[in-house]
Amino acid sequence: MTTTHPKNPTTHPKNPTTNPSSVIRTRFAVRFLHAMKKLNKKTPPSRRYHTIRAAACASMASAVGPRRAWSRAILRKIRARTLHDHLIHKSRNHRLITRRKSAGLRGNPRDQEEVGFRQEDDLRGLVPGGEGMGFCRLLSETAHYIKCLRAQVQVMTNILDHYSSS
Amino acid sequence: MEPKVEATQPQFRSGISGANPVEMGLGFDEIHGLISAAPGTGGSSFTALLELPPPQAVELLVKEDFPVKPMPPPIFPSNIALIDRASKFSVFASADNSPESTNILSASSSMKLDLVKQEPLESDSHPNSSSPAVSNQSLKSNKRKEREKKVKESNKKSKKVVANEASEDSGEKLPYVHVRARRGQATDSHSLAERARREKINARMKLLQELVPGCNKISGTAMVLDEIINHVQALQRQVEFLSMRLAAVNPRIDFNLDALLAGEGGSSIDNSYPGTFAPSIWSEGQINGSRQHQYQQPWHFEGLHQPSWGREEDTSNFITPETSLLSYDSPANSASLHSSHLKMEL
Repeated sequence: MTTTHPKNPTTHPKNPTTNPSSVIRTRFAVRFLHAMKKLNKKTPPSRRYHTIRAAACASMASAVGPRRAWSRAILRKIRARTLHDHLIHKSRNHRLITRRKSAGLRGNPRDQEEVGFRQEDDLRGLVPGGEGMGFCRLLSETAHYIKCLRAQVQVMTNILDHYSSS
Repeated sequence: MEPKVEATQPQFRSGISGANPVEMGLGFDEIHGLISAAPGTGGSSFTALLELPPPQAVELLVKEDFPVKPMPPPIFPSNIALIDRASKFSVFASADNSPESTNILSASSSMKLDLVKQEPLESDSHPNSSSPAVSNQSLKSNKRKEREKKVKESNKKSKKVVANEASEDSGEKLPYVHVRARRGQATDSHSLAERARREKINARMKLLQELVPGCNKISGTAMVLDEIINHVQALQRQVEFLSMRLAAVNPRIDFNLDALLAGEGGSSIDNSYPGTFAPSIWSEGQINGSRQHQYQQPWHFEGLHQPSWGREEDTSNFITPETSLLSYDSPANSASLHSSHLKMEL
């Protein structure tokens, strides 16, 4: 039974998991699966899609950490939402929270005139937390966000494959 | 001249003392003392400064040890305004990231060299002779030749740094705004800042172009942005779609991770692996994070016994998804292939 195969040359030598995308993938995968396990027991099938999607975003954001503006924005949203749920006066706080969010206006209106302003608005809408930063910052956040989204898709695809195949 | 000099003196003091409190403070007191002590010479207090202890003044100026570069501190004693500017740059240099600051320093020094050369200095041949001598040592080789370009580029950068860091606009303080703008570029501080920003934006756009597949051929910011937006939307839609599928799949499978163990073993290594070993070996090498330490021991057991795959141990099984997901670098197709392959073996 114990056939001591040599370690796989492709996976072993340089420890391929240390490259940044696989680090993110690992962290995301761990959190996401944790969340899924918990979800599986609690939620009824009706809301499942919604909760899974939220769990995916949340676990991605927490895997990235507070280093990035978009992950911070997502975490803020989640915290605000949970706070909001716990509070008695939901409506009042919800209004407050949404007002606070809209207060973070665009950084440099000048930039819109310089470079593709139509797309900039769209991009801001797409990237979480994109409201409150300048165009330049928005671009770097978008780059990181794209990387993480891609990792997320890969992980989720793999999970799905494993589940559906077994 | 005089009002300018006097006006800039306090700034000079604050600027330099900001850069190097210890040394500057000492030098400063001396200079200040000299200045205040020689009111009798009339308005030309700064010539007094320069004349009275010329070697000392030079020394004091040389002492300003700008931390960033081995360049001697830009010594343009003829203009205290320039010195002020130099100190400001050095402040930026210490505070800010190096490439910009080095550019700034070099630019500032080279710029000042320009000024020193071009403008007939009011009184002082002495500091002039010392300054080229000192500055020659370090600057000459690099800066003089590319001075123009550097000045141009660094103008933008320095302008940007100044705009970003200095709360007060340096243009206001220092009388020589034209020092900054050079060689066919707009002299406006605004346009310089804009140019710097535009360069930053272009750099980021290049990064994004590499990230988004198919963007390399497109030229033009607007279309690239369109592509980027489409890509982000597509990725988000994919995530939603996948989560929908997962939600549909979930109740059936009940999140049993044994299957993952099987799949993962195969996917992690080359196809021929039995998969039992892969997880245990792999987990040692590749799993990062403290979580895995708890799991590693049960893992080994799991790995060694094939039939134990049937066992449900959540803790150990938990690692498996990571390991399988880690194998992304190798063609992901092997993952699903191997899971089925292993099942057949069992």
